[in-house]
Amino acid sequence: MNGPWVEKYRPKTLDEVVGQDHTIIRLKRYVNEGNMPNLMFTGPAGVGKTTTAIALAKEMLGEYWRQNFLELNASDARGIDTVRNNIKSFCRLKAVGSPFRIIFLDEVDNMTKDAQHALRREMEMYTKTSSFILSCNYSSKIIDPIQSRCAIFRFVPVKGHQIIGRLEYIAKAENLNITMGAIENIVYFAEGDLRRAVNILQASATVGEEINEKSIQDVVSKAKPKDVKKIVAKALDGDFLGARELLRDVMVLQGTSGEDMVTQIYQEISRMAQDGTINENIYINLVESVGETDFRIREGSNPRIQLEALLTKFLINSKAD
Amino acid sequence: MLWTEKYSPKSFDEVLGNVKIKDELVNWTEEWLMGNKQQCMLLIGPPGTGKTTLAHLAAKEFSEYIELNASDKRSYEVLKNTIGEASLSKSLFGEGLKLIIMDEVDGIHGNEDRGGTRALNKIAKEGHHPVIMMANDPYSKRLQSLKPKCNTIILRKVHTNSIVALLKKICIKEGVEFEEHVVRNLAKRSNGDLRTAINDLEVIARGKDKITSEDLDLLSSKDNIINSFDAVRTVLKSKNPRRIKDAMKVEAEPSLMLEIIAENIPREYEKVHEIQKAYEMISQADIYLGRAFSTRAYTYWKYAYELMSLGVALSKEETYRKFSRFNNSSIFTKLSKSRAKRDLRDRVAEKMGEKLHASKKVVKEQFPYMEIMFQNEDTAYEIATYFDLKDDEVKLFRSRKIKVKKSKPKPKQELDQPEGLNGVKAVTKKSKKKQVKKSVKETEDKTKKPRRNKKTVEESKIENKKDKKNPEKDAKDPQKSLFNF
Repeated sequence: MNGPWVEKYRPKTLDEVVGQDHTIIRLKRYVNEGNMPNLMFTGPAGVGKTTTAIALAKEMLGEYWRQNFLELNASDARGIDTVRNNIKSFCRLKAVGSPFRIIFLDEVDNMTKDAQHALRREMEMYTKTSSFILSCNYSSKIIDPIQSRCAIFRFVPVKGHQIIGRLEYIAKAENLNITMGAIENIVYFAEGDLRRAVNILQASATVGEEINEKSIQDVVSKAKPKDVKKIVAKALDGDFLGARELLRDVMVLQGTSGEDMVTQIYQEISRMAQDGTINENIYINLVESVGETDFRIREGSNPRIQLEALLTKFLINSKAD
Repeated sequence: MLWTEKYSPKSFDEVLGNVKIKDELVNWTEEWLMGNKQQCMLLIGPPGTGKTTLAHLAAKEFSEYIELNASDKRSYEVLKNTIGEASLSKSLFGEGLKLIIMDEVDGIHGNEDRGGTRALNKIAKEGHHPVIMMANDPYSKRLQSLKPKCNTIILRKVHTNSIVALLKKICIKEGVEFEEHVVRNLAKRSNGDLRTAINDLEVIARGKDKITSEDLDLLSSKDNIINSFDAVRTVLKSKNPRRIKDAMKVEAEPSLMLEIIAENIPREYEKVHEIQKAYEMISQADIYLGRAFSTRAYTYWKYAYELMSLGVALSKEETYRKFSRFNNSSIFTKLSKSRAKRDLRDRVAEKMGEKLHASKKVVKEQFPYMEIMFQNEDTAYEIATYFDLKDDEVKLFRSRKIKVKKSKPKPKQELDQPEGLNGVKAVTKKSKKKQVKKSVKETEDKTKKPRRNKKTVEESKIENKKDKKNPEKDAKDPQKSLFNF
């Protein structure tokens, strides 16, 4: 069993990694030297941070990489205790079969500041036996002392033609019947996120025999959070209570993330501005509010509360005023 | 000995208030003892109204009793084994009657106590033994099916005067001097909960010979929710900074206060710009809560409190003179209702996250695509097997069970393609599909085996193992195995 394609076609070696050429060249130098400093990979989702870390560990540590590689997801285990216990017990032992050990800490920006300070200690204590690879979306959320202990690698969104290349490769391996238009469509929706691109591709492949632009469109709209249109419409209509209730339903029951909601709301108002449902002055005011909400959510506030506050901004041309 | 125990009624005669209910229960007990089977008894009422006391008084009349409460695990099996047996088999002793007391039946947990409600229903229906169940929430969903099968009795909050009388009696017996208003205050703040009232009295009076109003300050109010609502009311109704600051001195989590204030802004404020401004304050307060959490600098809380209280209060032009009904935030109901689903989502995300090298959050973002992929039988099977998803976990992505179309050894193909397994791998989904269709057509008329189609993933795994052990058998019957593709 190969699992979903995101896993099946995850690059196994550094050479296979797509779209991060500068980073890969430097990392391969480390492999040749047989030594590496602590690394930090920053960049948006789906551009290959985790893939690169695993591939690097394999090439760096050789045959016994599994025993000498610890992968921790800081989002799910972000307390100080987890960091201390897991990392300590792992670092204490000397590497066997490999030159040193590697700890890969994914999504470090979701760790509390306290935990990050604890981590900094661990990074200093075990320099002889272990190296760290940290990954995060926003390096601004990482405390300076950690940043200064790492060589920082910025991962960039994967370029369109590179996504196309990868999709074509998968399509060929899976013997898919896919049009060029469909592939370009995927690239458009993926926004540089290769994981999303591959997921869209596989989802479309399960729907019909031929994958064309329309089937991509269908999959993408099906995968979108539901009811965003209704929420926006209700709010613009002055029904704040109704809009808020629906928003809560979508976020709690369907489990849609705040980031997704913001994106969808933005796309919805853009569409409405384009077809003239709302005039350009209202539109630009709303864009400002949406942008501010997006920022506040990423700063770590409660996404649902922020979105509820955003909905009040839509009441501006409502009948109630 | 705790005063609540010490002064709990020792017989039905001593029970305060609830005369009708008392009589009914006495009657019920007597009927049972005379050998007349009675309906199961369901006592519903808020805490501290005497449900457990009544049940224990009844228990005294019976030779034996079993008691289960929320701290015991109460799945279907557990209930059936402990109670079911008691309720079905005759006791060896005495009258042969075993009283079963089930406390907090509305607290039977959907997930951990799987089937608990079902078992209760069964016991209530067929029970040969007397059963008394207790619950707090008369509108609990778990009670809906139970109620018609039971003799349901609703207990009301104990009247303040009755509580005052009892507290005085205790004071006298303990030799504690008291001021009338102190006792009355204790009774009032207990909000009809006799147990709380007695406990509070014990806190301030035990070992002393006098209680005064200063002693009352010792007690932190138990009922934060009630207090929170008072605070919210003040925030929304007033513009007076001092009053608001006073009201906000509640021992509630700031995030909880934030939710309740936000919930009620649009219920009180009518002008759009007021709502906008107030919600902007909520948003700012929330930002400080977020900062406090991520930096562990809880001194930020004070800004959050000011913004959500005075900030919201000053967002209105003038105070409204109207009656408003304030609600608790619907988010709490939504969260508790969806808990099972969210738990399932978390569990699956964690399971998948291990193999996908991703956090739960990242995995959940892929769920919408998974849902689409799972509509396809083959892909669903492949992914479910890869992540080792159980049937109930598959339900997250599709409502139907996965029909099994594949089985591992493919003797027919091995014959056609001598490369063996590698060759099989190379075969694409589409060509497989065609083959399936073809083979279905071929076999449909001759050997109808519709049963195989209904198999679940789990069954098919077993099937696969069997097949592996016995490949020759399948080789002899290529049509059969093709049918399984």
